[in-house]
Amino acid sequence: MLDIALAPMALEPKTFTVGQKVRVTVSFKYVVGVNTTVKLLAGPYYTNLFGKHLVSSCVGQADIELAASSSPADGTGTVDFILIAKSLGGIDNGTYGLRVWIEDTNAVAEQDNVIIVSGNTSGGDMFTSMLPMVMMLMMVGMIVPLTRQMGEQDEGVAE
Amino acid sequence: MTMKTLELGLKAIRVLQDGSDPPEEALLVPGWYVDPQTGLRIYYDPGSAKFYTLAGGVYIPLGYMNPAPKQVAVAPGDRLKVTISFKYTGPAITGVTGYYCLGVNGLFGFDEKLVQRTTFNLPQVTSPPSSPNVSDSYTFTIPTGIGTNWDDIYVKIFGGSPSIAGEATTPYLFGYENALTIAGVQPNITEFKIADFAKV
Repeated sequence: MLDIALAPMALEPKTFTVGQKVRVTVSFKYVVGVNTTVKLLAGPYYTNLFGKHLVSSCVGQADIELAASSSPADGTGTVDFILIAKSLGGIDNGTYGLRVWIEDTNAVAEQDNVIIVSGNTSGGDMFTSMLPMVMMLMMVGMIVPLTRQMGEQDEGVAE
Repeated sequence: MTMKTLELGLKAIRVLQDGSDPPEEALLVPGWYVDPQTGLRIYYDPGSAKFYTLAGGVYIPLGYMNPAPKQVAVAPGDRLKVTISFKYTGPAITGVTGYYCLGVNGLFGFDEKLVQRTTFNLPQVTSPPSSPNVSDSYTFTIPTGIGTNWDDIYVKIFGGSPSIAGEATTPYLFGYENALTIAGVQPNITEFKIADFAKV
């Protein structure tokens, strides 16, 4: 059983442009019986009616070495993640929370609304919104000649 | 790795005596007492000859397990020395078994994880001693696979020639709950927080 004491965080919101790398630094105390390596992960998340959702394409990870200590020892770690552009399957413009956690433990810390993302060009979004219409037109373009061809065959049979 | 020690007091025991209670127990009257070791308020009922603690409005009899007066931090590879001591009055007895156990104390009893036995002798003592006059100990080597909840410990003594008590029925047992802080293979992380974040 892990006892996690989350201290209130006072992180100021910061603005980032897509493509930039974000470095997160964490601190903690730990006790472990043998030298071990843990995986530290961090990434942005957004919140909607259905809860909090991690932007998985932007999650970064790093290994942290923990030296054996039977009494509480101070630990720190850093992890980088890249804000991948929306056009590449990444993050959209907007305001996001920051979540950091250590894999296979219940050590987790997060804070809402501290990552402000901008820099996604609107061109990509326009193309995405117009894609269904373009596909519809393409389908119409394929169906109309087919219909005409079927009509002509029916007329030939009638004659 | 380091050597850690934990001492248990079995208090006074009466081996092959005439049945007279030790003086400190004979003075008990019904009422609330304060455990000098833990500071907890406990109630003594002479009818059942038991101490009780009040939890959630229910009187719970105190068993052989007691809150630990201190915690010892151990990690795999460490050596943990458990020492017992008690006052003994009676004839010389050879081959008494000391039963040392680490494990998990729960609602359904003590789940014994590590058990070791020692054998020691009791000297002939004719007059009640003023302080513990017998002691024994065992040193555990903490295994790599120790669970982080194996933090309870108890010791009992039995057997010998002539026998002081049977293994299953011995009244001479004593234990501490949450006596150990286990540093296991899995890290125990606390005070985890984001110190800073910035673009690089």
